[in-house]
Amino acid sequence: MLRNYFTLAARHLLKNRTYATINILGLATGIAACLLIFRLVHYELSFDRFRANYDRIYRVVTNDHDPNEGDFYQAGIPIPAMDVMQTSVPQFEAFARTHSMWPTVTVPESPGSFMGHKYATNEEQEVGIFTEPDFFKIIQWEWLAGDPETALGEVNSVVLTEKMAKKCFGSWQLAMGKNLVLDNAVLVTVRGIIADPPANSDFQIHLVASYATLKANGALYFYFPDWGNTSSNCQAYALLREGSSVDEAKNLLAAVGQAEYKNNGSRVSRRHSLQPLADLHYDDRYHSHFGTHSTSKNRLGILSVIGLLVLAMACFNFINLATAQAAGRSREVGVRKSLGGSRGQLVAQFMGETVLIVALAVVLGGLMAMLLAPLLKYVSDVPDTQPFLTQPAVLGFMLLVTVFVSLLSGSYPALILSGFNPVKALKNNITTRTVGGFSLRKVLVVTQFVIAQGLIIGTLVTVSQMNFLRDMDLGFQPDLVYVIEGISPDSVSLPRYERFKRDLQQIPSVEAVSFGSDRPSSNNTWSSNFALGRGAQDAPFNVNLKFVDPDYLETYGLRLVAGRDLEPSDTIREMLVNETLLRKLGISNPEDALGKELRLGGRRTAPVVGVVADFQSSTARDEQRPYVFSSRKTSYYTAGIKIRPDDMSATTAKIAQIFEATFPEQVFDGGFLDEKIAAFYRDDERLSALCKGFAFLAILISCLGLYGLASLLAVQKTKEIGVRKVLGASVSSVIALLSKDFLLLVLLAAVVATPVAWWAMSRWLEEFVYRAPLSVWIFAGTVGISLLVALLTVGAQTWKAARVNPVKSLRSE
Amino acid sequence: MIEFKDIERYYDAGAVKSYVLRYASARIGEGEFVSIMGPSGAGKSTLLHILGMLDEPTAGEYWFLGEPVHKFNERRRTELYQQYIGFVFQAYHLIDDLTVYENLETPLLYKKVPSAERKSRIADLLDRFNMVAKKDLFPSQLSGGQQQLVGVARALIGRPKLILADEPTGNLQSPQAREIMDIFRQLNRDEGVTIIQVTHSDTNARYGSRILHLLDGKVERDEKI
Repeated sequence: MLRNYFTLAARHLLKNRTYATINILGLATGIAACLLIFRLVHYELSFDRFRANYDRIYRVVTNDHDPNEGDFYQAGIPIPAMDVMQTSVPQFEAFARTHSMWPTVTVPESPGSFMGHKYATNEEQEVGIFTEPDFFKIIQWEWLAGDPETALGEVNSVVLTEKMAKKCFGSWQLAMGKNLVLDNAVLVTVRGIIADPPANSDFQIHLVASYATLKANGALYFYFPDWGNTSSNCQAYALLREGSSVDEAKNLLAAVGQAEYKNNGSRVSRRHSLQPLADLHYDDRYHSHFGTHSTSKNRLGILSVIGLLVLAMACFNFINLATAQAAGRSREVGVRKSLGGSRGQLVAQFMGETVLIVALAVVLGGLMAMLLAPLLKYVSDVPDTQPFLTQPAVLGFMLLVTVFVSLLSGSYPALILSGFNPVKALKNNITTRTVGGFSLRKVLVVTQFVIAQGLIIGTLVTVSQMNFLRDMDLGFQPDLVYVIEGISPDSVSLPRYERFKRDLQQIPSVEAVSFGSDRPSSNNTWSSNFALGRGAQDAPFNVNLKFVDPDYLETYGLRLVAGRDLEPSDTIREMLVNETLLRKLGISNPEDALGKELRLGGRRTAPVVGVVADFQSSTARDEQRPYVFSSRKTSYYTAGIKIRPDDMSATTAKIAQIFEATFPEQVFDGGFLDEKIAAFYRDDERLSALCKGFAFLAILISCLGLYGLASLLAVQKTKEIGVRKVLGASVSSVIALLSKDFLLLVLLAAVVATPVAWWAMSRWLEEFVYRAPLSVWIFAGTVGISLLVALLTVGAQTWKAARVNPVKSLRSE
Repeated sequence: MIEFKDIERYYDAGAVKSYVLRYASARIGEGEFVSIMGPSGAGKSTLLHILGMLDEPTAGEYWFLGEPVHKFNERRRTELYQQYIGFVFQAYHLIDDLTVYENLETPLLYKKVPSAERKSRIADLLDRFNMVAKKDLFPSQLSGGQQQLVGVARALIGRPKLILADEPTGNLQSPQAREIMDIFRQLNRDEGVTIIQVTHSDTNARYGSRILHLLDGKVERDEKI
């Protein structure tokens, strides 16, 4: 029986090649898209899931509530609070503090030497931490060498990953017991080798030093054990005892430090709490884990929905074509019923055909997805190093898709076909209209075009917003500014700053050089409470700080709206403020601020000498923030170099060369400012790219369906076309007759898609404080594009049908 | 074998009911060869379809081998049908995508007959109808007479007690028509198969033992030959 169904299905497909090709291609495209999204979502959902005790691992976090500014979430914990937690929460089976670092690692040339081969740790991919041995009880790790219990027991001991050890010593087997120098200051010994973390882990830790090493080098690594200091570099992880109550542990944590926090006299009420490992990758309120990125579940949800929509569109095609074809198969149904075929047996036969088509499509779609999988790295964080089709999850998903798509697209046509009254079916009395599917087919085509148009609108809106951000006035000039970051203003390097600056200015294509704590626009924040005016109360909001030299404004192209630039100074002597700060304080005339005393953090006081025009200090998602600029040489971590556009690669090479010569113990980390700013919008660019891809797919699938429908309609209307032509209709009027209905469907889809897409895209745009207007042209253009594409698709078929000699078409009836 | 009482079948034609059959009643015994005759629109084919359980009466009773078919659902009708009835059509109605062999096999597949038995039954029939050489051809490769021969063979493959034929020779030329009718007569005489045919042709009706004359949806005259 099965073999019979199968041969029958195969013959049917061969006989209706166009129909089969359209069906299989459409489905395969949808399945390929769906598989790629599945791969992406599955990858993001797999983060750290492989860890032992996944459900019992928590990160301790800090939740602040400010009555004026709302809630703040951070991963950092004050060090004294950690001391209390370590002993006061009986639910903790293990508790470990971590302290992040991104050290420059030197492999000494000779034992005891501080000179040798230097390696920078990459901020994103290779985190270093100081931690306690308990860390490895919480985050269990494979050890290649060394003992997890004792390796971190002593001061100046480190554990390296296989990759790090290989980088430093050529082979991890050679690394045990060798020396390394961290940040040109701390001589450490390798006491253990651990396996490299897999890509789908938020613990991209490659160098682990004992916590005792941190305490011994407290100043170098900002180890400040006081209640008022919270840094995202200082975190704590815990393993809860089996069967213990999370809520009880949270209650105990909420009580930690309450007295101390109140003593600070701050408005902010602070509570510590627990964040489960299961949220680490997805809760972007806290950030700052040791991984390369976070992904909100929201985003994964949107992607999944897009994937399902595209798949659904492909299924709609199938239903459309199958029901449109049903009329032609009615006689077969009648015969089979008169031969004693029960409804169930007929359903089985038609489902068999569907399963065959779907199986072919899944195989083809799988191959397409495999070929396209390497492109995923452009729109997501999925590494292209892993195999695609052979993953059990992907295979399982393909099987699931086969079953699901077969049921979704096969059951309706099968039920319709098998439900035919045999007498009517034998008389060929069943027309496309009586199948009852015509209105359904219209609904499905409209739905397809709603999805396609929605995605086109999404694409156009994201592209216009990206262009808007690119062309936006940032309040400074990001072009042609080369930035060197991560310079350490230590006692060895500081005296060479001036020489570095002088040497750079010797390069003819360098226009200006400046030192500062940070570039104008970054994700870093450094803020403080402050007061403006002698003896004034603290302002009800914090101000952000940047420490800069007098060349900063010129280098980055920041504008002064009142007063003058800072005078050269190595310490805080004068201040500049920005317009936002004045606006938030209610000062409308910038001149009024000049000469006023500004007190930072209750200690340092200096006069305001100038007002800087507002500038975009972080992403366009955020409001402009109040800023204070002042000088303080010991906080200069960044050099900005404005260059001329001629021969930029030679200029940057020269800059790097001078840097290496001036600061041989530091690692050079340079890049262009505009590229760094573009990195803010990486996720948005990816979203935009995804939208483009899926809009294209959606249009393609809709058109395949439309093409199939139009060709069937042309066949069914052969007689009508013949009669009309005999009556004197021109080719163009016949084309108009056949195309009109389809174009109306596309217009109807626009009526549905436009408000929905408008609403969704306004929501997305609302995330940006600065956004491009939603232009009418985007919507008009979308309708135009879809009409044009639909017309071209349908047109070819109707043109063919309209040109048939009427004598021929009438005879065939 | 068959008894139907006051069979009624109408179609909704807008506001009015358009009756095809009304108060049609008759009894047909096992082994009879009955022809149904009447002018166009008398309800001949509809009656045949109802007897063949392809259609349902809107009112009336239909007893088949003592079973109340009018009370059965589709599944039980299909069971009854598969076991006892074979259908032959004017337009042959072979399945275009299937070979002669596969066309013959289809009813057996629906009846879930085991493979070995299917093979032997099909081989017997092909032999009997001299069609062994044509078993792998598709219907479009056969003449009309040959197609109808396959149609008859297909009706017989399930070893039915009752054959229903709707103008079985309507599309055929007379020599071929005679061949088909001879087969029917032989089946009726030698194997005791009950046959009910719809026909316009007196010649064909003479092959049978009884004629039911239908007029305006009623059995107007019951003629014994």
